[in-house]
Amino acid sequence: MIEILNPGWLSMVVDGGRYGYGDIGIPPSSALDHFAYASLNYLLGNSKGTPAMEVMGNGFSITFGTDLRCAITGAKVNAHRDDKPIQGWTPFEINRGAILRVKNVVEGFRYYVGFSGAMVLERVINSFSTNLDCRFGGYGGRPLIKGDRIDIKTVKAMDKRFIPAGLIPTMSPPHGLRIIEGAEKDFFTPESVKRFFEKKDHVYKVSSKSNKTGIRLEGEPVDFRKGVDKSIISEGILPGTVQIPGDGLPIITLYERTIGGYARLGTVAKVDHDRLAHLKPGDSVLFEMITLEEAESLWNRKMERDSFLYENHQGG
Amino acid sequence: MNYSRYGEDGIRIIFGESIEAKVSESIRRYYFFLKASNLPGIIDIIPSFRSCLIHFDSRQTSSERLISYLKKSKEKVDKIEIPEPVTHEIPVQYGSEYGPDMEFVSSYSGLSQEEVIEIHTSKVYTVFAVGFMPGFPFMGTLDKRLYSPRLETPRVKVPKGSVGLAQLQTGIYPFESPGGWQIIGTTKVHLFNYRQEPYSLLKIGDRVKFLRE
Repeated sequence: MIEILNPGWLSMVVDGGRYGYGDIGIPPSSALDHFAYASLNYLLGNSKGTPAMEVMGNGFSITFGTDLRCAITGAKVNAHRDDKPIQGWTPFEINRGAILRVKNVVEGFRYYVGFSGAMVLERVINSFSTNLDCRFGGYGGRPLIKGDRIDIKTVKAMDKRFIPAGLIPTMSPPHGLRIIEGAEKDFFTPESVKRFFEKKDHVYKVSSKSNKTGIRLEGEPVDFRKGVDKSIISEGILPGTVQIPGDGLPIITLYERTIGGYARLGTVAKVDHDRLAHLKPGDSVLFEMITLEEAESLWNRKMERDSFLYENHQGG
Repeated sequence: MNYSRYGEDGIRIIFGESIEAKVSESIRRYYFFLKASNLPGIIDIIPSFRSCLIHFDSRQTSSERLISYLKKSKEKVDKIEIPEPVTHEIPVQYGSEYGPDMEFVSSYSGLSQEEVIEIHTSKVYTVFAVGFMPGFPFMGTLDKRLYSPRLETPRVKVPKGSVGLAQLQTGIYPFESPGGWQIIGTTKVHLFNYRQEPYSLLKIGDRVKFLRE
């Protein structure tokens, strides 16, 4: 059993996502940093769909009712097991009665906390992810709060695993995002599209109005061509889509919507999707246009590199 | 039909340029065909007003393989048996505290509230897409006299069950959420239940008739 002493700014249960029901509007609500989430389960010897906690902010702390192996991946954090500092992206043992505390986040935004074994939670529509908007999945459909207790079905600890240091990404701003052009790219003036992709620092800043549904950007608005209808007939959208609403300020869609009605300037290349988890208010964002073929080959290379994470690696 | 790519792992199939019953019917047929085909590597199928979006797993299949299969499937699509759309009657309490924008809709359209209700309940609507949030039906087509612009500033909270208008569409909020549609009434019918299949009351192609409660 574990108990939440402090949930940080916002923490919730996530997994690889709730897929297969896009036709009735059910969004994935998945972990935002897939590499960090998959690495966590790999490090702990869990099977790949095992739920984890996705946490934002300083102060997160939990206490343990049993001896467990534990790990933190994602954002780089300054964390302690009682008064001993612990290493991110590395499994560590924690004893009954000990307290795990994340004092502060050093680099990045979201971090993932998991245990050797599965949190005992109800699977809702094939997933453990929390749909915060509709309040289902995860821990009773809501963020974790102080006093929440979760049982852990422990698995036999196995040999310690590690993630090669070279694979752990940097997460500090400015965030470079590679973009594939979108269906409505021609809705915008060529000058403003060109400006959007100029890799000058501080072109866009992440707005404090961003949330789990979308990252809102502040900066130079993207201009619509004269006479163009600013909204489109609503249609299916995929995570990472860069939508431009009437005010011209881009929104990067995350994992909480299946249909959108704004013009789509482009889509963040999948190779950069995990980075979206670490865009925090005030960070600068730089865009670069790449071709679909380039994006595919980058993604294939990454999938090959990370394939060890996605094989079934259950311990015991 | 026109096939295009959407990022690395999406295929967008466009069936028409505008909102039309015929286009919607072709999409619905195609959606059932895709579901029945059970192609390996398909993660999600998102049908909507004028397109069908396929989200696939690039580790299991490829856009080339999928598009070449789909291009050869016209005959199969035409032949497949598809279920009849279900017609649902949905009782609504209109106006006053149930419909905070009824007054606006009435004055914008120049109709009395009675006439707005009369017109809204006189037609059988088609569900063109389900999305925005789980179980939310985008329905049309609204009588032109009820055309309503979206709110300039969306509400932070629209209550569950709110029945709204936006341009020539009508919809129902399955959950409390932020929203920009003009709310003319409220229904007690539950549109989404995550505990029981089918999770969504309404599916693409279903028909909805509003009744005055």
